[in-house]
Amino acid sequence: MARVVRATASRPRLPHPGALAAAASTDDAVDAFVKRFTSSGGEVATADSERPPDDWLTDFLRGLDPEVVGVAVGPDVPRELSPGLPEVAAAHAGAGISLAWAAVADTGSLVLPSTGTRAVQLLPPVHVVWVPSGQVFARLEDALRELEPELPATVGLHSGPSKSADIGRTVVTGVHGPGRCVAVLS
Amino acid sequence: MHTGMKDYPSRSREIIRGDPGVREAVTGATIAFDRKRLQGYAEVDAEAWRRWAEGVKSHTLTHLDDYLAEAEARLEANGAEVHWAADAAEARRIVTGLADRYSVTSVVKGKSMVTEEIDLNPALEAEGIEVYETDLGEYILQLLEEPPSHILGPAIHKSLQQVQELFADRLGLEPDGDPDTLASAARQVLRDAFIRADMGITGGNFLVAETGTVALIENEGNIRLTTSLPRVHVAVVGIEKLIPRMTDLAGFLQLTARAATGQPIGCFVSLVQGPATHPDDDGPEAVHVVLVDNGRTDVLAHEHAWEALRCLRCGACLNACPVYRQTGGHAYGHVYSGPIGSVLDPGLVGLHEAMPLPFASSLCGACEDACPVRIPIPELLLEWRREAQEEGLTPWRERAALKGLAGVATRPGLYRVVGKIGSRLGGTGMARALPMLGEWAADRALPKPSRRTFRELWREGIE
Repeated sequence: MARVVRATASRPRLPHPGALAAAASTDDAVDAFVKRFTSSGGEVATADSERPPDDWLTDFLRGLDPEVVGVAVGPDVPRELSPGLPEVAAAHAGAGISLAWAAVADTGSLVLPSTGTRAVQLLPPVHVVWVPSGQVFARLEDALRELEPELPATVGLHSGPSKSADIGRTVVTGVHGPGRCVAVLS
Repeated sequence: MHTGMKDYPSRSREIIRGDPGVREAVTGATIAFDRKRLQGYAEVDAEAWRRWAEGVKSHTLTHLDDYLAEAEARLEANGAEVHWAADAAEARRIVTGLADRYSVTSVVKGKSMVTEEIDLNPALEAEGIEVYETDLGEYILQLLEEPPSHILGPAIHKSLQQVQELFADRLGLEPDGDPDTLASAARQVLRDAFIRADMGITGGNFLVAETGTVALIENEGNIRLTTSLPRVHVAVVGIEKLIPRMTDLAGFLQLTARAATGQPIGCFVSLVQGPATHPDDDGPEAVHVVLVDNGRTDVLAHEHAWEALRCLRCGACLNACPVYRQTGGHAYGHVYSGPIGSVLDPGLVGLHEAMPLPFASSLCGACEDACPVRIPIPELLLEWRREAQEEGLTPWRERAALKGLAGVATRPGLYRVVGKIGSRLGGTGMARALPMLGEWAADRALPKPSRRTFRELWREGIE
């Protein structure tokens, strides 16, 4: 630290330029989120408002290819949002079910606090994430500012499926994290 | 990971002549990255974003003592432990000491340039600890025992066929697997490693002073796993990675991704404040942040070079550089290669050690235009060249030739005579034959000069 003090001693201290003035999008935040998230390879599903959400989710998971048999469910996911399928360890589950704290439009991101247990968010091949209605922020900056007073130990921003182009510049999905990431809007 | 920067010319020749596949692969990959960056910049007011990012980084660097103190206090309040490493040896001692303290036998790593810089893996392996690089590209290079050749795509110099052969040899795969098959085989090996590992080691793209947040950007999910599954997380972070606030981070996460790959943000971002505290959190019980100097305060104290510390390690300048594209990173002989390496390395390891990297550029300026924090790379290259000249680090013949040129150019009569001789006889052949220019001309092809000198043309009237 003494070296840092010495190194900066003779230089004038430059001011902070203030907030980044980003152009406000005129799109509806939910529409903008859907557009951005899907263009990064994420999928969006809308729960059938006529049915109980747990029934809808159970059918949705059964309808996936391959069909989801066992699920891992985050401890913060309420019972009425949990599917009626057998719960197994995250490492063996066909899908992980999480509850996002929020979604962000300008980056197409799901904001996932670590209280939902990280293994559920990362190990299964499919990650299905409930997005609470009214919690879609237009800008990442707004979401982080709102979250800051009660930051959990870790926050994950998931903005699409896991991918890599490290082998022969060909994009491969599901390298380490989930190969499919589904945001569920209600 | 220093293989010696002084061999840059001979290593470049070896790569270009002996392994032409490297040039093909690197040129293809960097041009593709560069196009994506241009698209990513075009979607936003990139000029305003870059000026803003330059301003925030310069502000932070000129207040670095304050922000480091704030970050340390905040991390400790969050339950993380902070360590200070003056140099690479101390950083290695700290990490191996932590491995010992937690009885670690197995480590998973997220891609990190600083852990390459401090040569961490051999130090861990010397303690009998198994180390897995978990980024797919890094894993390939670990099997090959090669250093990364690009900040973002460490294995971009490898072809699909080379990876097929490697995985056939080491993982027993059929030699004609497609990238999906190869990636899924690597995933299986590494998934076991994640579950077995006691310690996860990462770098850090940013450290937010206000909240003590280590921010990590990636696309594969391996860094999220590295910071989540093992019981101990160690983040090795250069002291220049600080930014003041969480709201600054929002801008930097987006700008870094756009500069690197044109994406609006990395597929996965981990914001790590500290160890798991919530009863439902399955994250690490201990988080350690190792703040590394290793030459950075020398760069910070340098009148000009300090600007290079704004670097976000996005790789945009490598992708834009016509010189880097010919060889990839290995020719440079240091973990930071390409344009940013050529201005950062002389500051980090000393100009003498880093010669002749400041000369490995055509000064075309593409790097500066690409840089998300507007580092004036060509200016800094010239500054290092000037210092090299002053310190007598350039070849004596070249210095003598420049002195000779100065003598000729300041005497009009002599200039006329020498100009005439040059225009009649000039060209690559003559330049190489001259004792003064031979060394300089050996790596260059010169255009054939006009038969008549400018002064002759001028007298006759130029149209």
